[in-house]
Parts: sequence; structure tokens; C-alpha cells
Amino acid sequence: MLTLREKRARRIAIAFIVPALLFFLLLNAFPLGQVLWDSFQLKNLLNKAENGFAGLANYAEVVKAEYFMTALKNTVIWTVLSVAGEYALGLVSAIALNQNVIGRTIFRGIIIIPWVVPIVIAGMTWTWMLTPDYGILNIWMVKLGIIDQPYYWLGELNTALLTVVFVNIWRSFPFFTISLLAGLQSVSRDMIEAAAIDGAGVRRRFWHIVLPQLKTVSLTIIFIHIIWTAVNFDFIWVMTEGGPLHSSETLPIMIYRYAMQEYNFGQASALASMMLGFMVAGFVLYYFYATRKNRG
Amino acid sequence: MLISRRKQRILTIATYLILAGFTLYCLMPFLWMFVTSIKPDDQIRTLNPSFLVKQITFGHFDNVLNNSAFLTFFKNSLFIASVTTVAALLISIFAGYALSRFVRFKGVKLFGVAMMLSQMIPGVLLLIPLYLVMKNVSLINTYASLILAYTTFTVPLCTFMMKGFFDTIPYEMEESAEIDGASRVGIIFRILLPVSLPSLVSTSLFAFLNAWNEFMFGFVFINDESHRTLTPGVSLFKGLYQTDWGSMMAASVLSVLPIVLIFIFLQRFLVEGMTAGAVKG
Repeated sequence: MLTLREKRARRIAIAFIVPALLFFLLLNAFPLGQVLWDSFQLKNLLNKAENGFAGLANYAEVVKAEYFMTALKNTVIWTVLSVAGEYALGLVSAIALNQNVIGRTIFRGIIIIPWVVPIVIAGMTWTWMLTPDYGILNIWMVKLGIIDQPYYWLGELNTALLTVVFVNIWRSFPFFTISLLAGLQSVSRDMIEAAAIDGAGVRRRFWHIVLPQLKTVSLTIIFIHIIWTAVNFDFIWVMTEGGPLHSSETLPIMIYRYAMQEYNFGQASALASMMLGFMVAGFVLYYFYATRKNRG
Repeated sequence: MLISRRKQRILTIATYLILAGFTLYCLMPFLWMFVTSIKPDDQIRTLNPSFLVKQITFGHFDNVLNNSAFLTFFKNSLFIASVTTVAALLISIFAGYALSRFVRFKGVKLFGVAMMLSQMIPGVLLLIPLYLVMKNVSLINTYASLILAYTTFTVPLCTFMMKGFFDTIPYEMEESAEIDGASRVGIIFRILLPVSLPSLVSTSLFAFLNAWNEFMFGFVFINDESHRTLTPGVSLFKGLYQTDWGSMMAASVLSVLPIVLIFIFLQRFLVEGMTAGAVKG
């Protein structure tokens, strides 16, 4: 039996969470359910006559689509290379920032900057620097003798995706820097000193004491970024729109094409549901891994 | 002494070199953006580009501000981001308070889990159903569609930030006010919020930044020039201006300006917020 005061408190609590809950239910939970539902429906805005239950037909169509495998492969390449590059740069910069340097706050501030500008602006500025005609990076590379003549980095089949990966790394590594820096600052000085007294050199101390302590934070940010990168639409759309010839098309771009260019919402939903499935599988794996480790 | 003096010296030099490299890497694009925007065309389209501007021109800025819809886009973004910020803040002050003070109720705990989950649902998966919802209630091409979407995506993060701030304020402060007969809402607005003003500012700047930078929903929900926001607007300049990079870079400089201002205020909080996973990529 709740006291009168508790009852009042509960009423207040409910009143306080209702607005946020409404937003969650109407614009998060309901649409998510809708995606799953639509993925089993024939739903084409251009052809309204075609409707009703589709079973797994949408999924089959999507998987059979000409560029599905390309998009899947691109998504994996895009995600793995981006996250690997971001981690490497993040680690190096975090270690540098963790030293006793003058002007550390300023350096840290500068390194965060790419992370706070809109992706569109970042993408456009890099596109300008990379243009074959008068792009400064092309001109520099020609002058340094790295390439013979200006190269259309974003327009060639074999470099478009890699170029966007490069720019994505530039924009996203600061997040790794900040997280890893926080991790590095919590590494105990005592342990490092003890190891030093025992005769461990700089390299040994780094590999055997510092890195293992970064494991938890590393796993978490890598996991989060795998998801954020895999579902990113903006960067690729702004820089190449998935082209040339689908060579930089990833699954989110494909979802967009199905929905907003072909108006086939059924198939777009099937693709989105598949991505959701991948994500949930990832979560479950991560969860089991994390709990097992905690127990062990 | 953990390492010999000579080694220490080499390490210090290496550290500064690395940091200098990163500084160059991070700032170069912005520098080049700015330099391009104030150069006359013949110095932009040259095989000997230079960071030194011999002749400063504001022609590109003039072009962007007076001959394009840039100002409309800018105002739209400003309006949408501001309304989103206020709405998200109001909602999350209460939700954050509930999560901080009333977790003993099962419903509130469940609500916390729901907020956590919703933070992980990527926008692109909700793009299709949200578009259909907006279409069905005829909100396509309105500010409301974006304000609703952005508020939804910002509320969880703001809620957790507010909860964190409320957690640091001792409950005793409220108790005495309660005895004096103040209402719960009165307590929040008269006692708690004034104490956590800096936190309130940082939370709202985060909300603003997220709404200002968003691209995909703005691109899909808005099809008419008069309601378009800045990020899709600027990306469409690419088709409009073809190779007039001076004007495009001028538009970029102007779009980044508010962020630079926010950044100067936010720097300290930004690091904390990023560590807490606040800014979504």
C-alpha cells in the first residue's frame, strides 16, 4: 500500500515522463514497427493497385537486386576501413595529447573541430580540394611527383569509395581521440612506475600495461562506430551519391533509392528491416561478449 | 624518472611533431575554404594556388547572400534549430528530473530503458515510415515535420544529460522548499535550474548543434525552396553553381559561423558530452 505522498509522487513522475514518452512512441516505436510491417507488404506509391500481403517477396527482390551484393560489400569495406582508420588516428593523437605538452587544451580543441562541422560542409570542402581541375590536393600531388596528372578521385570506379572513406576518417577520428584520451587518463600512474622500476621499457609498458587498460573503452567506441558508420547516409550522398556506377553505394543509399526514387516503400522497408536485423545481431553478440567477460 | 633524459627529449619532439601534423590535418580544409571564399576567380582557377590572398574580394559572399536563397535557408535552419532546442529542453527537463528522482517507480525505470534504446535506432531506418507519417498528416514541406523529427532524436540525449545534472544536486535542497509549500514544477524552475544553469546552456547547445547539422531528414522532408534548411540547401548549390567554388566556399564559411561561435562557448562541455556519447555521428 502506497502512502498518500508516494501516490502523489507517482502521479507527478508519470506526468513528467508523458511528453517524452509520447515522442518516443509516436515517432520512434511506431515507425519502427511500421518498417517491419511494411517489409511484408506490397507498397509502391507509383503503383497503388499493387498492394496487400507480400510474404517474403520484398526480401527476395531486394536480395536478388543487381547491386545488392555490391552495396553489401561496399558497406563492409566502408565500415571496416573507416573505423580502423579512425581508431589508428584516434589512438596516436590521444597518446600525443596525453603527454605533458604546452598548449594541450588548444591542440585538443583544434582536433575536435572536424567533428562539429556539418557533414555536408566537410564533404563539399574536401570535394573542392580533390577536384581534378584546380583542386589543391591534385596540384600538390602532381608537383610532388606522386601522380603524373590530376586524378578524378571521386569519379573513378576504383577510388570513389576509398576517397569518401578517407574524408570520413578525417571527420570522425576526433571522437576516438577524446574517448581514448579519457581512457588513457584513467590508466594508473603507479602501475606504470612499478613496471618501470621492474625494468620495462617504454614500448613494453605501452603494449602490456597501457593498451590492455584501454580495451573496454576501445571495444565500446568501436562497436558504436561500426553502427554509426554502417548506417551513415550523408557522407556518401553528399560526395558521390553512391556513384560512379554504384561503386560507392552502401545499403543506406540503396534504402534511399528504393524509397525516394522508385517509391517502392515495401522493398525499402525490407532492406531497412534487414539492416535492423544485422544491428540487433550485433547488439546481442556484443552483449553476450560483454557479460561473459564481466563474469570471467 | 621513468625514462632517460635523452629518450625523453626525443619523445617530446616527436609528440610536438605529431600534434603539429594533426593541427595541419584538421585545420587545412577550413583554411582552404576560407581562403577560396575571399579570392577572385582567376586566383581560384589557377595551377599555382596559394594560401596568400593578393587581392581580397567579397564578391562571392555578395553573390551567395544576394543572388541565392541562402539567407532563407539560414533563417529556416535558425528557426527550426531554435524551436527544437526549446522543445527538447522543456521535455527533457521534466523527463530528466523523473529519471533522477523517481527511478524507484517501475514505469520510470522502463521509460529509462526506452530512452536508451531509442538513442540507438539509426535515423535512416526510420526515414521511410517517418516520411509516410508526415505525408499522411500533410506535414511534408513544413517546419513542423523537421521540428518533430529533430526533437524526437534529441530528447533522449538531453534527458540523460539533464538527469546527470540533477543527480549531482542534493535532495535536501528540494525538501526544505517542499515543506515551505512549493510545487514540484516551482522547485524545478526556481531552485534546481538556476543552480544548473551552465549545464542547461550546454545541453541546449548540443540540441542546437544536432538540429543545425542534420542533413538527411531536411533533404527528404522538404522539397520547396522557401522551407529548405541550410545543409540540404548548401548541398544543392553544388548542382546550381557547377564549378563556382568561390561561392560554394563562401556559403560554407557562412554556415560554419554559428558553429564556431557555439564551439568557443562549448569547448569545455563538449569533451564531457562527447565522452558520454552525446553527439551522434
